[in-house]
Amino acid sequence: MSPDANSDLGYVREVVQRSERQAMPREILWLWAAISLVGFALIDFEPERVGLYWLVAGVGGFVLSAWLGSRRAHATGQESRETGRRHQLHWAGMGVAIFLLAFSADGSSAQPTARTILLMVALGYWLAGVHLVPALKWMGVLAAATYVALAFLEGFPYPWTAAAIAIAAGLVVASFAGGTAGAER
Amino acid sequence: MRLAIAVLLSRWDRLSFSRLRELTGETDGSLGAHMRRMEEAGYVSVDKEFRDRKPVTWYALAPTGRRALDAHLRALEDLIGPG
Repeated sequence: MSPDANSDLGYVREVVQRSERQAMPREILWLWAAISLVGFALIDFEPERVGLYWLVAGVGGFVLSAWLGSRRAHATGQESRETGRRHQLHWAGMGVAIFLLAFSADGSSAQPTARTILLMVALGYWLAGVHLVPALKWMGVLAAATYVALAFLEGFPYPWTAAAIAIAAGLVVASFAGGTAGAER
Repeated sequence: MRLAIAVLLSRWDRLSFSRLRELTGETDGSLGAHMRRMEEAGYVSVDKEFRDRKPVTWYALAPTGRRALDAHLRALEDLIGPG
């Protein structure tokens, strides 16, 4: 191949790679920081309302996140139904798995079920980091570390509130890492 | 340049003029000329809208453009393949 053709193809690759680095809206991570803060802390304070809270906030958060993502794509001037669909399938899959786990759980064992759900959340963030938004990989690590830490917080008065703060803080920090951006454009 | 634009439009459903300019690093005049030629050839479809009272031009790859891109990529593969 001629040097000209080589350089042309190199340019095409560079331009396409640049387009792939489309940022995730920070608002989505802030939204889930708020939802997680309340949702995980609720396990300490109102455990009987946790299921209903996550059902409503989870579905509402999913719909709002899809809208924020679509608004961001429109504002950036770069739209792809396929990319939106990939994000939606990933998070909907995680949501359905958590719903099925919670639905089939024994009512007397809320704490182990909540811990298992936290581990699924960690896996969800990790896979999102690997396949969708690199900054979320660290959220997966943080959620997994929180899962491990909860085993050592047996005597701690509000272990899930501590976990909620860790998860929410992690999401806020991730919102300022590479691969995310505000919707100001 | 037009190959890069066609590949970008095949990867994404539609791109605005300003996003294309940002990604390609072209000037308004140069990119505008490329887009006009692609539009005249029927390779791209154009959609205009107003956002905050400012005009935004969106481009998408038309079926003719997709066929032309496929043919061009096949020709490139033939060029690279036997080597």
